Amino acid sequence: MSKQYKAIGEDIWKGRTEKINAELFALTYGALVVQLIQDYEDYAEVNKQLDKMGYNIGTRLIEDFLARSAIGRCSDFKEVGEVVAKVGFKSFLNITPTVTHSQLPPTSPTTQSNTAGASFTLTLDENPLAEFVELPEEALEGGLWFSNVLCGVLRGTLEMIQMQVQAEFISDTLRGDESTQIQVKLIKYLEEEVPVGDD
Amino acid sequence: MIGGVRLLQVMSHHLFLLSPTDTPLYSLTHYSSKPTPSTASPLSSNLPSWSTSAFAGTLTALSGASSATQAHHAQAGTVRLGGGQDRHVIQMIANASLDVIEEVMRRDSAMYLKSVDKFNEWTVSAFVTPGNFKFILLHEAKNDDGIRSFFNEVWELYVKTMLNPFHTMHTPIRSAVFDSRVRASAKKYL
Repeated sequence: MSKQYKAIGEDIWKGRTEKINAELFALTYGALVVQLIQDYEDYAEVNKQLDKMGYNIGTRLIEDFLARSAIGRCSDFKEVGEVVAKVGFKSFLNITPTVTHSQLPPTSPTTQSNTAGASFTLTLDENPLAEFVELPEEALEGGLWFSNVLCGVLRGTLEMIQMQVQAEFISDTLRGDESTQIQVKLIKYLEEEVPVGDD
Repeated sequence: MIGGVRLLQVMSHHLFLLSPTDTPLYSLTHYSSKPTPSTASPLSSNLPSWSTSAFAGTLTALSGASSATQAHHAQAGTVRLGGGQDRHVIQMIANASLDVIEEVMRRDSAMYLKSVDKFNEWTVSAFVTPGNFKFILLHEAKNDDGIRSFFNEVWELYVKTMLNPFHTMHTPIRSAVFDSRVRASAKKYL
C-alpha cells in the first residue's frame, strides 16, 4: 500500500503546473514569523497564531488534496498517517517525512489503532520553511516553534475529514534538537457536523 | 635571544566586514602558521615577529593624535575586539584604507580588488560585494589566490546569513554558525 501512496504523491507533485521558488517561499514565511514576533512579542502567542493560520489553510487545503489525489477513506488512523506523510506532504511540499506509529497500550485484544490516543509521529529530515533560519537566543528561550503553521494545517485538514487531532512539535533542529518531529494524536472521531466558528 | 628570525612565522590576518555605510558588521583575527612565500618587503621578513609588534606598539603611541582624528570612523568601538595594543593600529589601517578602496571602486568594477593599500608590513586587500558591502583583509604575506577564494567563501556565507529572517540588516553579525564557518574557511585558505 505504501508504495502506491509514494507513487500517488510523486504524480501529484509532478502534475502541478504552479510551483513556487523555494527561496521565495522560505523568505516569505520567515518574514511572516518575524513580523508576528514583533507584533505579539510573546513566543507562546506567536505559536498559537501560527497554529491558527495553519488551521485556516488546512481547512481549505483538504479540498485541493482530495480533488487531486482521489484517495478513498482511510481504514484506520495508521493509514491516515501514511497518507499524510507520503501523499500529503509530498504533493504540497515535495518532502516525505518518515512516519512512526504508536498508540496507547491496548486494553483489550480487539483494540485497533482507531481508538482515541492513537498517534503517529512525523520526522522531517528537511524543512523547506526553515531554510537559512537561525533562531536567536530569545526565540530559543521563549519556546518558539518556527514551523508551527504545519501543526495547524494538520489539525485543520484532519478536522475537515471528521477527525479531531492534536498536532504539536516535539523537537526541532532549529532549536538544536537532533531531529524535527511533529506528533499527531487522535482525540476523537467527529460524528456530528463539524461545528462552524472560530476556535 | 635577541635577533635572529623565528623559523615558524605566525602570519596574522585581520578581516573586517563593513556595511555600505561603513558600519562594522564583523571582525576576525586569524593566525595561520602556513608556510608562505617570502614577503615582498625584505625588511619585515628579516625582523623577528616580536619586533614588528613592538614597532606597531610604538606607532600606537606616536599615532595617538591621528587615531583621534580617525574617531569618526571608529564606530568600530562597538565591535568586540581581541586584546592587544596593536589592535588600534590595525583598525586605523583598515579605516584609512576605506578611502583608497572607494577610489579603486570607481575605476575598477570587479569585486575582488586585490591589494589596495600597503602599510609597512601590512597589505590591505579588499572585496566589494554587489550590495556594496566591503570585506577588508589585512595580511602580511602575498596570497592572492588563497585570499580570493577566502573572500568568495566569506561572501557566500554572508549571503546565507543575510537570508536568515532573524538577521537585521546593517547590524553586527552575531551568529555563531557564521563565525565558526568563517574561521574554518580562514584555516583552509589563509
